[in-house]
Amino acid sequence: MRVPVVVKVSLVSLLLMGMYTGYANYIPQIQSKPPEELSLEGGNVTTAQLVRAGQEIFKTKGTCEICHQIGQKGTRAPDLAGIGARAGKTKPGMSGKQYLIEALVDPAAHLVEGYPPIMPKVDKPPIALNRSEVWALVAFLESLGGTVDVTLDDIPKTVGAAAAGSAPAELKLPGDPKAGEAVFAGKGTCIACHKAGKIGASPVGPDLSQIAKIQTPDYIMAKILNPAGMGTVAGYQPGVMPPIFGQTLTAKEYVDLVSFLLTLK
Amino acid sequence: MTDAVARGRTCRLAAILGLTLIGVVGVVLPLSLGAALAQPAATEPAYRTVPLLGSRLAVWAVAQLHLNFAAFILGVPIFAVIIEIMGWRTGDGRYDWLSHELVKLTFAAFSTTALLGAALLFLFVGYYPRFWNFMTSIFFSTYWVYALLFFAETFTVYLWYYGWNWLSGPLKWIHVSLGVLSNLFGTAILLVANSWVTFMISPAGINDAGAFTGSVWTAINNFTWMPINIHRLIANIVFGGTICGAYAAFRFLGAQTAEERARYDWMGYIGNFVALSAFIVLPFAGYWLGREIYAFNQTMGITMMGGFMSWLWIIQAILIGVLFIGSNYYLWLGMERIPGSERYRRYIPIMIGLLAFGFMVWATPRSMVITLQEARTMGGTHHPVLGFLGVMSAKNTAVNIMILTTFVSFMLYRRANKTSTKPWARTGMAVQWFVLAVAAAIVIFYGVYGYFVESIVRIGFSVYQVGAVLGAIFLVMAIDIPMFKGARATGEIRWGTIAPRSQYVLILLAVTFTWLMGLMGFARSGIRQHWHVYGVLRDSSVDAVTPALGYAANVITVVTIAFFALVMFIFWLGGLSERGPEHTAAHARVPALAGGSDDPA
Repeated sequence: MRVPVVVKVSLVSLLLMGMYTGYANYIPQIQSKPPEELSLEGGNVTTAQLVRAGQEIFKTKGTCEICHQIGQKGTRAPDLAGIGARAGKTKPGMSGKQYLIEALVDPAAHLVEGYPPIMPKVDKPPIALNRSEVWALVAFLESLGGTVDVTLDDIPKTVGAAAAGSAPAELKLPGDPKAGEAVFAGKGTCIACHKAGKIGASPVGPDLSQIAKIQTPDYIMAKILNPAGMGTVAGYQPGVMPPIFGQTLTAKEYVDLVSFLLTLK
Repeated sequence: MTDAVARGRTCRLAAILGLTLIGVVGVVLPLSLGAALAQPAATEPAYRTVPLLGSRLAVWAVAQLHLNFAAFILGVPIFAVIIEIMGWRTGDGRYDWLSHELVKLTFAAFSTTALLGAALLFLFVGYYPRFWNFMTSIFFSTYWVYALLFFAETFTVYLWYYGWNWLSGPLKWIHVSLGVLSNLFGTAILLVANSWVTFMISPAGINDAGAFTGSVWTAINNFTWMPINIHRLIANIVFGGTICGAYAAFRFLGAQTAEERARYDWMGYIGNFVALSAFIVLPFAGYWLGREIYAFNQTMGITMMGGFMSWLWIIQAILIGVLFIGSNYYLWLGMERIPGSERYRRYIPIMIGLLAFGFMVWATPRSMVITLQEARTMGGTHHPVLGFLGVMSAKNTAVNIMILTTFVSFMLYRRANKTSTKPWARTGMAVQWFVLAVAAAIVIFYGVYGYFVESIVRIGFSVYQVGAVLGAIFLVMAIDIPMFKGARATGEIRWGTIAPRSQYVLILLAVTFTWLMGLMGFARSGIRQHWHVYGVLRDSSVDAVTPALGYAANVITVVTIAFFALVMFIFWLGGLSERGPEHTAAHARVPALAGGSDDPA
């Protein structure tokens, strides 16, 4: 029996693609997972825990290992073995921890001779380490031949301010802020606990008058739907805000409300 | 059955296909969108989930399929208009026939592309609303431009196709102009769509706070826009050529007469010739794109080449190696049907050696897949000797030598049945070999020197290497064309007598290139990792993990199979107009080829 051309051509094609697919499944399988946020602010942490957290950031979210090695000279970036001891002697008048912080958040300020200015600012996207993570990373670097003495207060408060990267600051939602204001004052009953600019006055919940300036849209959206899951602002009683708005508000009311809150700057 | 009836039937079938797809898009998608909207919108404002498949997989599959078809309807007309111009200038009816045949194939693909584009749009709007809102807030004005260009291209192609007889003879220049115009519109569509995609990779106009503060033009003219425009344009020509070759192979293998075999043998050769011509300059566009990615963001560049994606380039090397060896093998098989080619057989083993060695170097990984025990014995995952071949310097050198070898292969094919009658032919040939040797020396020099410099400097060397190769190709051809003008023929090409296995090589080239396009699509998207828009809009969905290569390969294969199944259906539609007892050629008379022809190159 003569095999039809279409069958022969299909078999050849499938065999070929099978070989490519088989090979791709045979080689090392590496996924790229999104990094997890580390928050140490307000928590008790030992030096050993801090250094361990910093080491993890060095290898994962910080992507430092792509260029830096420890105990081996790299072609793209300097060897970091003994950096904890060297850091304090690198720039006159600058302590080791100050130098390390500067090297991470403003790498171009001092370049090691022989290396190109290719290091990104680690507290800015796409690496986007937050303040806690920069603290842990500095502690890890100090531990490489030096003494760990960095505290959270040593890390400038501006560090990691743009780290969120979770949404653009100018995100435009399809909601109507005017209608959202009505939801805030009416059906949502937010006004019962929160102040928002000229409306509301109760001190039960935090003042939201500048909420869009200090929080990301993601946080605001999630907080309305899952108040307990997003934590409680320091100084306020936990568990007061009801977790019912996902059910009581329609999708339009919810988007309008978020749009209104995003105007509060 | 008259041709008009056959054409009518083809149109009706195309309409049925279109309606079926509209049905799929119009009924199934709204239903699934309805399901998505029925999910509590307030609890998932940024993402919704496509039932069963998941949103990422659905977008991936539809986007890849849409891109494949888009490349088809952009690449094939570029190819067709080149062929039509060749026919117009040389007066050879075969080219006109082939061009018409190709445009016919793009017709059914047009509606499929549009429907897949609409499906992709629905998926973005319905399942990635936050992402879509963000992109719309920047690119809204370009949506109108895109839609208008699509209308303009569609109607110009209609006019081009249906005006084939009407605009012939002294009006042929108008017809050719329509072909050129439709390709200009098509290219403009490509540029607009590329601006969206490249902004996601290398956003421009973003301030430190992550907000967009630039103009639309700033967003469009980002770091990777122009390199990807050039890369995709060239790749589309290659794609058009390989698909044309595959179509010809399919028809050749099913041909009933020697005349039919001759016709499709010639068509396959032209397809491979155009694909190969564009393919050898494609790496240059790739290097430029790589350099721009490094210039935009070093971390992204290093992640792409040396991070979690590093093994992807080994798979790419294997695919490109297969394409090079396949194309050369096809040329060598083709030389067997050219009297006089025996003179050049002795060079084939040398070329096989060079291609095989280049392939092996290019496919050598930097880190080996080994057990812990083996790694300890070897002193690490890098092989002490072969590890040096696993870096870019060696690979760039290998691919450039492979390009030069392929060019030599083509050069020998071109002169297979010719003997130059020019008195300076001996000197000319000596200069040609000298130029090729100099180019090879430059390639090797920068390959070795690359081991001693920074990666940012090294990636610039690849431009010098490709520049030397392209310069050599240009110079050698500049000598070759006058040298063989009016040459004495040693025999005529026996079209249709090529070995049938050569046709499977053409199929291999089309399948491999399509699979490669899927892989490069994954690379382009994967380098953003957990960002929708790199460094600006984070992917916080459940699908934010960038999958491993095995999973990616599985998806690419399934989508490629779906693409070829649809393309086979279109090929079948293309063949329908020739069925029936009273078939007559419609526009260009089917040319007789068996027994003799000039070298079309």
